[in-house]
Amino acid sequence: MDVEAVRRDFPILEKNGADGVIYLDNACQSLRPRAVIDAINGYYLTTSACSGRSMHRLAEEVSRQLDQTRAAVASFLNASRKEEIIFTRNTTEGINLVAHALDVGEKDVILVSDKEHNSNLLPWQLLTQRTGAALGIVSSLDDNSFDLAAFEKLLDDRVKLVCLGYTSNLDGVSIPAREIVKMTHDHGALVLFDAAQAAPHRRIEVKALDVDFVAFSGHKMLGPSGTGILFGKYPLLEQMRPFMVGGGTVSSSTYEGCEFLPPPEKFEAGLHDYGGIIGLGAAVAYLQRIGFDAIERQELLLNRYLTEALRESPRIRLIGPAAPELRGGIFSFHLPGIDPHRIALMLDQMAKVMVRSGQHCVHSWFNKHSIAGSVRASAYFYNTIEEAEVFVRCLRKIEKVL
Amino acid sequence: MFCIAALLILSVLGIFSARYRSLAKDALDCVLRRVTLRPCITGFDEKMKSRILGRVINRSERAARFLNRNFELLAWVFFILVLGSTVYAARGLYLFYVTGSCNGLNQESFCVFDPKGENNEVTDISQGCKENPPTAADLTLKGVDLSRFPVCNPAGKKEIVLIGCYGCSYTRKIYAPLKELAAARGARFRFLDYPVKVSTTLSARLAECVYRRDEARYWQLNDILFAAAPEQLDDPEFAGKAAMQLGLDWGDLGGCVEDPAVQALVDRRMDEIAKTRFYGTPTVFIGNQVFVGPKPRRVYAIALDGLFYWLKGDGGSRSEGR
Ligand SMILES: Cc1ncc(COP(=O)(O)O)c(C=O)c1O
Repeated sequence: MDVEAVRRDFPILEKNGADGVIYLDNACQSLRPRAVIDAINGYYLTTSACSGRSMHRLAEEVSRQLDQTRAAVASFLNASRKEEIIFTRNTTEGINLVAHALDVGEKDVILVSDKEHNSNLLPWQLLTQRTGAALGIVSSLDDNSFDLAAFEKLLDDRVKLVCLGYTSNLDGVSIPAREIVKMTHDHGALVLFDAAQAAPHRRIEVKALDVDFVAFSGHKMLGPSGTGILFGKYPLLEQMRPFMVGGGTVSSSTYEGCEFLPPPEKFEAGLHDYGGIIGLGAAVAYLQRIGFDAIERQELLLNRYLTEALRESPRIRLIGPAAPELRGGIFSFHLPGIDPHRIALMLDQMAKVMVRSGQHCVHSWFNKHSIAGSVRASAYFYNTIEEAEVFVRCLRKIEKVL
Repeated sequence: MFCIAALLILSVLGIFSARYRSLAKDALDCVLRRVTLRPCITGFDEKMKSRILGRVINRSERAARFLNRNFELLAWVFFILVLGSTVYAARGLYLFYVTGSCNGLNQESFCVFDPKGENNEVTDISQGCKENPPTAADLTLKGVDLSRFPVCNPAGKKEIVLIGCYGCSYTRKIYAPLKELAAARGARFRFLDYPVKVSTTLSARLAECVYRRDEARYWQLNDILFAAAPEQLDDPEFAGKAAMQLGLDWGDLGGCVEDPAVQALVDRRMDEIAKTRFYGTPTVFIGNQVFVGPKPRRVYAIALDGLFYWLKGDGGSRSEGR
């Protein structure tokens, strides 16, 4: 991959040097290439109509593009059929959908890890409060990686669902997905992966993994804000009750009841962000063109550099395992006693370096470890070593001064 | 402390830019929380500190370290400076309103509200350098016999005394507003003509002669003379026309104007005026205050009726032109 050439696709990266920004907050949202922006604009400029409900040619064109996007996402995930793809607003909505649509009883147990994003913790907390089911927490190993042994211990026949972040937004650590799915299925339970931080960075093959549900967001993988995908195995989706209901979810209704459409329509209530979904299709196409091998290679190159350059820093406490290979594009750290927001603000002021600071919606983990928060630099394939160097240089200065 | 100082500055900057306005809002929130001893949730002070540190560190790590360690102390110093300058600025504004100068009555030092110093400009009467030139503090009406000079609204309680000359541009600026102000506020108005420019002695004599014949016409003549182009003031033809305009006979008046006794009287009057030790025109006396230079109309109004003169009604406030 020619990084310089790729960067030219991103309007925000057009400015160079002191005028340009160094965007290392990709775990929050990625930047968008022109192809995505054009696709969104294309919808508003040329079709700008409803999908499905109306019969005219503009509506037909929108329906065709949406269908095409659904098929493209299905192929992106290597799903069995495109009807397994549900358009959502984001990862959070996908997870909440499952939490409301799945039958869970008071004898059931739901397992999550001890470092889940609130979006993959709170829906299950509320579900267990609603149903009387139990919530089990799988503790991580000391280096924050997934503890298969601890997981196995908690896994019994009462477990109905295992919900895990595929890649953690806290430290970039990924879980052994294949083993987890296998072990879970062996106990007759289902698996949901929160792939918000995985889908943008690695190939997820749902068929090969045999995973039951996968939720992710478009905006972390070059797509428009407020777009997301929930994958669910078709037979499961068929059995599940709808989450939100209304227009677009039924074939007919009377004053007494209604007849729901099959998945995915049953779960896609109301008018959707058509421009956004078409943009998401363009993002998927763009990622496939770049290829996940190249993406992973560039992220590893950057994380290796960051890890090596900051290894000797006396005050920097890295979160997660020492080996950069295990942390994807994320370098998350804290300086004991120093407010992480201060570091982030200073980085921005010093060289327009944009990072995320705070608890990254993983409050539970920070509370457990009594750490105020961290600074998280999250790289993507369009980041360069030169940018990483600026980040390191600024950070070293900050470390000396604070 | 930092929040308060920042609030003061950002409120001013906020007048010009929305960006600063929202920061000022954050600063205000922070101040309100500080005074109620709650933590500043907007993190405003922390945010600003970090941004400042981020800027300073690019220039000097040492300075950034110093700033980081002593931020609260520096914020205090900054606050005191801001407070000091705010008080100073408020004082300047007040003084400008009341006296027309930022630094007090008749002070010529720089004033942002009157950058060219127009409110203190005078037509200088001193010839050459004097060893101890008089200052505003030396000016007085004590020992000056004002009864020799014409008075408008003689029944008025307060009095405005204007020393000026027909041809002096700064006198020209304020003659009409002052006369109008005196009428609006029921004050006596005396005009003490001191022909600084030698070329206006004809006007001085003409005025004296008209005054002798008819006081009301004298004031009308003043209006004509102040409205005329300065170069016309010593032109006998113009003087004749002015007399005609006033319905006076030039044959009769011309003799008076050329009478050396009248010139002598004008000279004596000038000697009388000189007793005030004035050094430039216009100089205005109201009560025991003296105004050197053409002040805005409100300054004279305040001297007559106090800071809230407008509450007492002022038919002439329309003509506040400066
Ligand atoms: C691991 C993980 N899960 C879930 C989410 C929530 O994503 P969204 O806000 O797009 O729903 C995030 C967002 O940062 C995330 O990192």
